[in-house]
Amino acid sequence: MTATGATPRRSAPPTGRVRVLLFSTARTAVGSRSLSWPVGPDGTTVRELAAGLARAHPRVAPILGHCRYFHDDVLVKGLDERLPPGAELAIHPPYGGG
Amino acid sequence: MSVRLSPRPLSVASAFRELEDPKLGGVVLFAGRVRADPTAMGTVTALLYETHRAPALVALRRLEAEARRKFGAGRSVAWHRVGRVRVGEIAVIVGAACGHRSEAFAATRYLIDRLKQTVPVWKEVRARPERRPRPRPNPRRAR
Repeated sequence: MTATGATPRRSAPPTGRVRVLLFSTARTAVGSRSLSWPVGPDGTTVRELAAGLARAHPRVAPILGHCRYFHDDVLVKGLDERLPPGAELAIHPPYGGG
Repeated sequence: MSVRLSPRPLSVASAFRELEDPKLGGVVLFAGRVRADPTAMGTVTALLYETHRAPALVALRRLEAEARRKFGAGRSVAWHRVGRVRVGEIAVIVGAACGHRSEAFAATRYLIDRLKQTVPVWKEVRARPERRPRPRPNPRRAR
């Protein structure tokens, strides 16, 4: 309990959204081309979002380790990159063109 | 330099014209067509290609720059179909025009190999289940 009697929250409530784009096997595993992912005012990291996605959609979990991630169309260099509210994260399974 | 992601049929003749340059004597084009491969679902009838367009165009342009830097390709093409591509149709064309044949072959090989590894394009198989012949009635059982 806080001084005001309110129960403290473990984390900030979602105040924004990150748009998640899913392709190929990731789309099939989740069952959707895109998701609107709730995030706090500071956003989230690619790592946190991927972990949350794996919890929410267990079928995509084994795929995520083989994926590339693009933040607003730019390749993510590290999984600790921050995604602010309003960002777009694209999840790319291994490619199969040609 | 020419990159393309298109739902329309790809033309080898058009790609060849993109590579025209009187100073470049070695021209190599590679075209990849959809094969009627057997699969567990039946024989392939088409491939459905999807892409993430903006990063894919960036990746194709990067490939062209690499072909120029590594092999001296004066001109190159890297085109890929998107959407439904039926068996026999061309799904991808890459090519390079260089001073001589060895660089042109190497550049084109590099373009197709790296395209498959680095350009965000995915394919999904469309297949027709095999028709199994109907079993003939067994005359002994009919008795």
